[in-house]
Amino acid sequence: MNAYRSLQEETMLQHRQQRSKTIIDLHQIVKTYETPSGPFTALQDINLRIQAGAFVAVVGKSGSGKTTLLNLLAGIDRPTSGAVTVAGTQLHSLSESQLAEWRGRTIGLVFQFFQLLPTLTVAENVMLPMDFAEIIPAAERRSKALELLERVGIRDQAGKLPAALSGGEQQRAAIARALANDPPILMADEPTGNLDEATRMSVLELFAKLNADGRTVIVVTHERDISRYTDRQVTLVDGRVADDAQR
Amino acid sequence: MLKGDAAMTPLLFIKLLRDLRTIWDRIVLMILALSITLLMFSGVLYTWGITGREMPRAYLSTNPASATILLERRLNADEMAAIAAEVSKQPGIIDATSRTQFTFQVQQEGGGWGPNPLQIFVAAPDDPMRIESFTVEQGSWPPAPGEILIDRSSFDLLNLEVGEVVVVQAPNGATVPLRISGVVYIPSLAPSFQQQQGHGFISAASLPLLGEPVALDALKIQVADQPGLTVPSRNRAVITAAALDLAGWLQQTYGVTILEIQVPTPYAHPHQAQADSLLLGLLAFGLAGLLLSAILVATLLNGLFTQQIPQIGMMKAIGARSGRIMQLYLLMTLVIAVASTALAIVPGIFISRVFAPIILTLLGVDAESLTAPWWMYVVVVASGIGVPLLFSLASLVKTSRTTVREALDYRGVDRRGDISTRFDAGLGRLRGLDRTVLMAFRNIFRRRARLLLSVGLLASAGAVFIAGMSTQAGFQASLDRDKELRRWDVDVRLANIDEVSADAMTNLVADLPGVARVEAWSSVQTSVIPPGQQISVTRTYPDQGHGSIAVTVVPPDSSLVDPPPLLEGRWLISNETGAVVLTEGLPDIRSGDTIQLSLGGRPTNWLVVGIAESVGHGGGIFITQDGFEQATGVSQPNLLRIVTDDHDEETRTAVAQAAERTLSDAGIVVRSAASVSRSAAAGASHMLPLILVFLGLSITISVVGFAGLASTMSTNVLERTREFGVMSAIGAPASTVRRLVVLEGIFIAVVSCVIAAIPALLLTAIMNDYLPMPGLFQISIPAVVIWVVVVVLGAALATLAPASQASRLTVREALAYL
Repeated sequence: MNAYRSLQEETMLQHRQQRSKTIIDLHQIVKTYETPSGPFTALQDINLRIQAGAFVAVVGKSGSGKTTLLNLLAGIDRPTSGAVTVAGTQLHSLSESQLAEWRGRTIGLVFQFFQLLPTLTVAENVMLPMDFAEIIPAAERRSKALELLERVGIRDQAGKLPAALSGGEQQRAAIARALANDPPILMADEPTGNLDEATRMSVLELFAKLNADGRTVIVVTHERDISRYTDRQVTLVDGRVADDAQR
Repeated sequence: MLKGDAAMTPLLFIKLLRDLRTIWDRIVLMILALSITLLMFSGVLYTWGITGREMPRAYLSTNPASATILLERRLNADEMAAIAAEVSKQPGIIDATSRTQFTFQVQQEGGGWGPNPLQIFVAAPDDPMRIESFTVEQGSWPPAPGEILIDRSSFDLLNLEVGEVVVVQAPNGATVPLRISGVVYIPSLAPSFQQQQGHGFISAASLPLLGEPVALDALKIQVADQPGLTVPSRNRAVITAAALDLAGWLQQTYGVTILEIQVPTPYAHPHQAQADSLLLGLLAFGLAGLLLSAILVATLLNGLFTQQIPQIGMMKAIGARSGRIMQLYLLMTLVIAVASTALAIVPGIFISRVFAPIILTLLGVDAESLTAPWWMYVVVVASGIGVPLLFSLASLVKTSRTTVREALDYRGVDRRGDISTRFDAGLGRLRGLDRTVLMAFRNIFRRRARLLLSVGLLASAGAVFIAGMSTQAGFQASLDRDKELRRWDVDVRLANIDEVSADAMTNLVADLPGVARVEAWSSVQTSVIPPGQQISVTRTYPDQGHGSIAVTVVPPDSSLVDPPPLLEGRWLISNETGAVVLTEGLPDIRSGDTIQLSLGGRPTNWLVVGIAESVGHGGGIFITQDGFEQATGVSQPNLLRIVTDDHDEETRTAVAQAAERTLSDAGIVVRSAASVSRSAAAGASHMLPLILVFLGLSITISVVGFAGLASTMSTNVLERTREFGVMSAIGAPASTVRRLVVLEGIFIAVVSCVIAAIPALLLTAIMNDYLPMPGLFQISIPAVVIWVVVVVLGAALATLAPASQASRLTVREALAYL
């Protein structure tokens, strides 16, 4: 356990040292979908660099391409043209299975509808990515999961099934799951979209805290108050970067 | 094997167990449906194995003769024994013995001759019974003079008991009592209830009591493929050649006249064709079960996997590789397959142990063992586990390869092409159509592969049900047509007579109460003699019924016969000679051909003027009275056909008995006098096993079809949980949701009925072609109506549970559903 902690501290230190480095690099990204009514370009000529340790909000109206952008960053989708490099890995060079493995080790994903597996308990949901990535020794996975749940404030819900939790608790569980393998990047798609006002704030504060610990956090959101927490806000309009404001 | 880093994790195993528990009702339904199909398949396969082994075994246990050489006149038993001994020494002949046989009327309780005759086989008392033997179950062989051993299947038919006396009418017309001294089992003969004829064995020493000399006329031989071999030949051509050579040698050496050589199909029970059809039906039964099982597995597992797509996407989003996902669902499939197989094994064996003896009893055969061949158990286990795995493989691979993006986009709806869009638009323009009905109809096309599978399953069941019922209806229609064409009620068969004129006989009977009309006919056994030969070779079995052909002599100006439907040529012209009309059962002969028929042991030449359908006129070949007289010199009839005033069974029986008494009193020997219903009963008995098989098949498939539909609809409902939540959120009451789901099930059922039409027609046509009994091609309208009602009601019932499940969903549950 101590060995793991020292490894974790060392990793965080490395993250801080790398804060000035580019962790995400999008170059000339175009994403076009074939639809029954013809091709639809969701993203056009996107060039974006994100430094390690940044807290970036991607904002824009519905259909502006926010989720598409996040999917490309997470290796969920592939660009029609252009190159995506995340944490030093050129994503186009990876197969679907390699992408899954890479994602498990590098990215923590949080979705609007939490997407917890309904037949696993909250703790088991958090342990599942550890099982997939196999970075953390099997014997330590449960305590690590409980530690993460403690960190997001739902330690006492660990043994329950997701359906028994409130929306805010489920989202916290989803965040704990995203942190399971201690990924350097946390990505969230409308993480507060399905939560009440009070819970929204607490979730955003949690993201800010995680960013303060050295993680790169990218949040796709409609949230107007997000700028209080982020240090960069990228605004998309019709698939193009309309504004890129740094604080 | 998969690499270590892609191995199944304990959490995935936990997820699997909880998933199975969460959807236990569908898993149970799936396991039950799979078990039923596997049960059906295994039961049929084992039955097929058992009957396929036991029937030939039982038949061959009697050491059937390869051929019977029938002499024109009977010879003294000692002389025949000496001839048989000499015949045994001929090259290629394994063994030989001599026999004869008679068919007698049996006196029924309270007097009068019963409708069912008794065929008695006669052997010399010292016959070693190495050929055409039987098993003595009670008593001993040979029975004492005046005693008879009765085939066990004949007791019920003739209402007999061991120790009682059976009174028969001897060839000379005398009434002879024979004491029943024992019971024999003769698996080489068709069972009595099917033939509507009893069987018994007496020693030649009893012949004098029957007014007959101790003489025999049938030489039974077993022929080997080559001299020196001791195994009877399976080659009919070899047997026929050997029998013809032997016949020539007999004629030359002993100066005997050969009436006929009978060479039945080697190694084949008289009901082998019936059994083959039955086995073919069983095989189709098994294959259909296997196919349905595969369809069902593909349908249900595809639904299950599809439902898991969002979870698969999420697992991939957090790092799961395709290999892990595949293992998870492979294991789920395996759990279902193994559970289904385990559940089906024992009941499958039980079914075969019940079903096989029923089939074998219907064929008159006892099973020595009811254990199926070992490899069939292997096939069942391999099929039970392998088929679900095999058929779900494509779906498994596809699902496990679902990308995160596809999973996140998944809404349970197929992408639609332009055709369906136009179709939908067309539907939308229909005025007055209820929106729920419209939605339900559109919804069934959303998962097209699943729709095809569900429809395929129900359509298969419908096709088999309709084909089975139609075949039965076709057979019944054939019987009805025969009845319509056969305008007489009673057949009275007479011994060959010269003393009394035909007119005198008909007058005697015509005066009886209840008789409307009498005609004098003749019916004699015949055979087609191949060109260039003098001795006819038939396929007749020892019972002289199976494989034999009869010539029916139609009297001039007969009002009792309507020409049967002609396939080619024409019907007979009154008083014409040298012309015959054949029925379709005689192959390779066309209208305009010349054929040689053996009549009374003499070859006669005939021109085929027509080929008719096989109908109930009592014979395969028709000739005129004048033609018969010219060819044989015989003018006396041997068959009286009586039309009764009333056509009920009581009147027919009373007239038959009165005719028999009157003719006997006039010194005319009556061989049998019976209502025509007897032949119909024999025909119906032949069809019974087949009808049982196809009804069983359709019922089983229907059950599986509905189970499949229920499970499919349950999957559909789960997949569209969010959609139902949305409907509820915008104000749809629970009843509307329920109606929507039930309507979807009903639409699937209706589509399946339409799809079932063509396979039902094809299957009915195939069954009509392959069944041993004639049937008219027709589609049973009641069967169609019954099926439509059953499938629509069944679909409504099968979808009630999923519909209720959908209607109970709360908006919150539905929207949070993963």
